[in-house]
Order: sequence, then structure tokens, then C-alpha cells
Amino acid sequence: MISIDGVTYSYGEGISALDGVDLEIGDSELLAIVGENGAGKTTLVKHLNGLLKPQRGRVIVEGIDTRETTVATLAKKVGLVFQNPDHMLFAETVEKELSFALVNFGLPPEEIAKRVEWALIEFRLSNYRDRSPFTLSGGEKKRVSLASVLCYDPQIIVLDEPTTGQDNLQKTRLASTLAKLNRQGKTVIVVTHDIEFVADFIPRVVVMSKGKVIADGPTEEILVREDVMDASSILPPQLAELSWKIGLSTPSINTEMIVEEIRQILRCDQK
Amino acid sequence: MKVFKAFEYRRGATILHRIDPRSKLVYLILFTSLVVYFTNPIALLIIFLSFLPMVYLGKISARWSQSLRGSLFFIVFIFIFNFAPTAYYSGSLLDAAVSAIAMSLRFLNLISVFSIFFLTTSPEDLTQSMVQLKIPYDYALTFNMAMRFVPTLSREAQYIMDAQRSRGLEMEKGNFISRIRNYVPVLIPLIISSFRRAELVADAMESRAFGASKKRTSLYVLKMGRGDFLFISAALGSALVLFTVNLLL
Amino acid sequence: MLPVMALAIIEVRGLSYTYPESDAPSLIDVNFRAEPGEFVLVTGPSGCGKTTFCRALNGLIPNSYGGDFKGTVMVDGLLTTSTPVYELAQRVGLVFQNPENELFCTTVEREVAFGPENLALPREEIAMRVEEALEIVGITHLKEKSPEELSGGEQQKVAIAALLAMKPKVLVLDEPTANLDPVSAKSVLELMHKLNKNGVTVILVEHRLEMISHLVDRCVVFEGGRVAADGPPREVLYSDKVSELGVGLPKVVQVSKRLSSLIGEPLRFLTPEELATYIRGMSY
Repeated sequence: MISIDGVTYSYGEGISALDGVDLEIGDSELLAIVGENGAGKTTLVKHLNGLLKPQRGRVIVEGIDTRETTVATLAKKVGLVFQNPDHMLFAETVEKELSFALVNFGLPPEEIAKRVEWALIEFRLSNYRDRSPFTLSGGEKKRVSLASVLCYDPQIIVLDEPTTGQDNLQKTRLASTLAKLNRQGKTVIVVTHDIEFVADFIPRVVVMSKGKVIADGPTEEILVREDVMDASSILPPQLAELSWKIGLSTPSINTEMIVEEIRQILRCDQK
Repeated sequence: MKVFKAFEYRRGATILHRIDPRSKLVYLILFTSLVVYFTNPIALLIIFLSFLPMVYLGKISARWSQSLRGSLFFIVFIFIFNFAPTAYYSGSLLDAAVSAIAMSLRFLNLISVFSIFFLTTSPEDLTQSMVQLKIPYDYALTFNMAMRFVPTLSREAQYIMDAQRSRGLEMEKGNFISRIRNYVPVLIPLIISSFRRAELVADAMESRAFGASKKRTSLYVLKMGRGDFLFISAALGSALVLFTVNLLL
Repeated sequence: MLPVMALAIIEVRGLSYTYPESDAPSLIDVNFRAEPGEFVLVTGPSGCGKTTFCRALNGLIPNSYGGDFKGTVMVDGLLTTSTPVYELAQRVGLVFQNPENELFCTTVEREVAFGPENLALPREEIAMRVEEALEIVGITHLKEKSPEELSGGEQQKVAIAALLAMKPKVLVLDEPTANLDPVSAKSVLELMHKLNKNGVTVILVEHRLEMISHLVDRCVVFEGGRVAADGPPREVLYSDKVSELGVGLPKVVQVSKRLSSLIGEPLRFLTPEELATYIRGMSY
């Protein structure tokens, strides 16, 4: 459970990166935070594990006020996976990379070995155990960075732009990993501007613009709202645009539903 | 990192910004030499006061004072480390104080003169003046790129620190040795990504015909004007006066 | 096909390439040709050889990288293996994935002037070219800024202007929008469309097919270092082969395909606009 309550944050220079953000995220939710660059998405997620502390308002994560604890404590509950794996990979081997956080959190060696083993298998990295992470391909590095956070089993997982530079197949795999984690009861938060990915795989969406939350709700309802899409200056999913252009009474982002709707329109006329 | 910010050039349209970098270089060298040469705290204080009109002319008072505040820690450090041993060995508190004050002022002056120079001189003008001073273009370009990538590097360092802290790294934990070791997970990604960046930048430069011709042209050429000769004369004159004052003190 | 074809601006024949210190080839027997003024979209899954292909087009491969290079790449009549990169740079401009790493000067103006300065052009000529390039790209107002202060989309436009100042005939862009938000991505892609209309040949590597496929003349799909498909976008994106490759097909293509089989009439739309117009036409 995360509750964000009137959070305001500014990096100086006068402009607020966050301007009175209220947001409730329940247990085992799967949601996306979308918005244009500079909307405040990254600033917001940095508040979830205490990298940033609210200048006004408060953030409560699993009952803990983030202002009253350290990043190291919160990091155990909230795993943040950053966009660029090159910003976190440093160890000589993939195995050591995966154990880094576990050692930091002071887990006993047997436990560390067990979890590393789990992560190697779960993320199809077993063959790379003794390889240097720097010699891996872009997609493999992304998996190592995700594994290195998931291996310490945080209750809440936040991914910043996980689809950047990923092809369609990699995106689909990522989506099924996220869905699986979510089924296991984890809260998964995806920060992205990949709107088609959100439309396809994420059930709840929070739209941010200029440091504010401007819409929040079920993805299939929010992403077809023309007013929200305009105000946030993100591009709508193609199917939403198609729905508007055809003039569907119930715009949709679901391929099946759209095909069905169109079929109905065409059928009617053939009669 | 704040200290670097205080030296970062911002565009401006003052007389000081328009003076040729080479003239400012003369000023920088003259006054740095004086600061290093002088030992009398009063003379050093006079030098310090001489910076005030410069700061006013260049409209850089906010950033200049920021650079001074940023270096406060070092000044206290310098003061204590000069005061304590001198007081102990000479036994005279007054001597110790005088020498410690002189050292602190010297440091303050160096910070000031460099901050005046860098705050009012754009990196590209500086690079161009290096080229015109017959420094090979490769070196001038390297210098220019270093200036360009300082903010990028510091931003990247911040990303990496965020990422590693999110994996439970506590930078301030442990004794001196383990604190240094705490920086390894930050430094390695930083170094590796800098190398990778260097390779990509090299590709980008080649793709823009770098090395096409031995003698490249420059879009802008710096020219010394009447203002520059006035500026250099004024710098020389005031240096001479300061030198004489120092002798008389 | 006519017996006499216009001279290709890019002609790649039997290109195979392996990076030094690598055992697997990145490109295998690639044949590719682009006519002057064409707009070619190149796509394919990660690691399919697109980036390597781009670097082979401006001679960085093999001239700067070394490695095992077989076959020929001709650009505007010049063989890349026997022409220095700086010579090729005046014909092919290469835009990279991350704009952060392709801008190395402290102002936009200097950045754009860098290429022409290297060519040792007269100062007036450089000034003119800089003005012109900034104007075409629409970033004259950013002239005095430092690349550091700009957004990703603006940085990418500076990179494009910096290449245009060398008056290349071809622009090759290697996933120029990978690090951009959708709105900036769209404006960069629209800029490419505009430059193409002005006569520049464009080779664009891109994942976001939904934004660009309707604007290109041809679509080439790479897979495992080989060219797996090559043709007009309406053929390539609707081919069975491409959907098997796991290329992310735009939603409109997916819907059109489904409708085609439902109504038994081949539909090949690329944009919501096209499909909507068709449906509106059918329903009246």
C-alpha cells in the first residue's frame, strides 16, 4: 500500500517538478504512470523509495513515512529498476551483480546463494553466471538489471521506461514477467511513454502532466479520453485514434472489440 | 559538485564578457602570480578588494559569492592547518594568526580570480583563443569537450548513485576505507559509460568530416580591440601598483 | 522493369561483416539499393544488424572499426572501402541513437559549424550553411544554447542540422527516436519526411512503425543479419513472413488484416485516418 498525499517537490529554479500529487496505490496492483518528458514521473517514483523526500505533503509506503527512514530501509520494500542498465552494472560477473543488493541488505550467505540461483533461472541467465555483465547484449543487460532488483524480493517493483530500445518480442516477454509478478501479489508500477505497451498490458493508468496527476483509472477508459490525451501531450494509442475517427460510441483500445464494432457497422450497411 | 556550478559560464553581455579571452588570460596570469608571490595579509586583502569592481562589472556577484561559500570548508581547513603547527612551533599566536590569515586569503583570491575568468569567458571563445595561440586544434577541442561533458558526467553520476542506493548501497556507511570502497559501484559504471561515450563521440566526429583538412577554418575569429588594450594596460598598471604597495608594507 | 535504371545513390552488394573479436557475423550477404530521393524504412528485432548496416553506409565500417568485411558498398558512386570517412561524410550523414553522445560542442551554432569547419570552407560559406541548416530544421532560436540545455528531441534536431550543413545527399538515421518521448519522436520523424520532400534520400531505422510507415516509399526488414523482406510498406507489413518475424505491427495493420479475412477483401491501411475513411465510405 502506497499513499501519496499532496506531494510537492521542486529542484530549485522555481518550477515545481511535482505540484500537489495525490495518489493511492493498493496492494498487488499493476499500473502505469505516463506523461510527457518533464511531467514529473521520475521525480514521483524517486519519492517511493526515499531517494527524494517530499518538500510538502507526505509519502507513506507500507505504513512508513518516507521522511522518517533511510533509502536502504525502503529499498528492501520498493525495488527501483532504472531505465539504463549501464547505470547500475559494475560487478565482474553476473552472479556477483545479482548478489550485490542481497549483500548490502545483510542476508545470510545460504539465503543469498538461493536467491541468486532463483534469479539466474527465472531470467534465463544461467549460462551467463560467470560472464561479465558488460559483455552482454542490450536485452540481456536489461534482464540482469531487473533480476538484480527482483532477487531481493521487494513487495513493490517500479520500472522506469523498461521498454526503451526493446523490440516487440522483448516487450511481450517483459509484459508476461510483469503479469506473473503481479499474480504473485507484487505491486508493479511501470513508468513509461510507450502508450501502446500500456494499452496492451497494463490495467490501470495514471496520467501526469506538468507535475500533476490529471487522470487516473482503468486503462481502457482513460486512454480513449480525447481531453486527457490532449492535455497530457502524449500521443493516443492508434486504436483510440481510430475509434474517434470512425466515431464509435464506445471508443476502445482493444483489437477484438474494435474489429467487432467495425464488423457491426459494415454488416448493418450490407443488409 | 556545487563548487563546479559556481565556475560554470553563463551568457552575459557585460564589458567583461566581451573582452578577448587572451586579454583575460593576461589578467589571470598576472594576478595569480601576485597572489602566490605576496605573503603580507594586508596586500592580499587589497588584491581581494580589487576583485570587487571586476565582479561588479561582470555582474557575477551571485555566482562568485557562491563559489566563495562553496570553498568555505577548505578555507577553514587551510586556516586550522596553518594556524595550529605555526602556533605550536613558534609559540606566537599572533604570527600563527597572521600566516594562517595570509594563507586563507591567498586561497580566497585564487578562487576569485579563476571564478572571474571562467564565469565571464565562454568555453568556445576560450577554445578559439587557444587555437589562435597556436595550440594544436586537437588539444583545444579536447578542452572544449571536457567543458561540454562536465554537466553530463555529473548528471550521470547522480543517476548511478540513485540506482545503487536503490539496491541498498549506503555510501556513508563504515570507516574511511570502506567508505572509499562504497564508491566502487558508482565509479565503475561511470568510467565504463564514459569510455563508451568517448567511442560514440569519436564516431559522431568522424561522421562530420573530422580530419578532412589539415587547416580547418573557424566560423568565428577573435580580434583584439581597443578595449582589450585598455584592459591589459589597466591590469598591468594595477599589478604594478599592487606590487609597489606590497614592497612598502 | 526498365532496362536502364537510374544510378542508385546507395548500392550494397553481397555485404557480410563480422566485428573484430566477434565470432558471429552481424551482416550476412546483404543486398540493398536506394534510388535518389527515396525514403526507406529499415526495421527488425534487436540485434538483427540494423546498427551495423547504418555504420557500413557511411564507411565507419570497416574504415574505423576494422573487422571482416566482404562485398561492396557504393555511395554516390564511391566505394566505401577505398574512400575516407570524411569524404563519405559529405555524401551520407549519420544520425545516432542517443543525441547526448553526438553533440560535443558547447553551443548549437558551433555544433552545426563543426562539419563545414572541418571541410575548411570559407567563413562566409560556413555562416551561410549554418543559418540555412538551422532554418530548415526549424531551430534557429536555439542557436546560442548549449546542447546540454536542450530536450532530447531538440538535440536530435541539432544533430540533423549539423549533418545538413555538410549538404549530404543521403541521411541515415539509426533509431533516432529511441530515447525520445512520442511527441518529440513524431516531430523528428515529420522533419525527416519534410527533408525527403526537399530531395534528400533518407534511410531510417525505426521501431515505431505506426508513426512512420505511411510516409515511406519502402520498408526493409532485417533478421539475423540478413534482409528478410524488402518492398513497399503496404506489401511488407501485410506479408505473412513479417508477422512471423515478430515485428511489432501497428494496430491499424492488425485490425485491417482481421477485417480482410472477415469481409474477404484485401485491406492494406497504414493509418487510422485511412481505415476510418474506408469505413465511413462503406457505411454511407
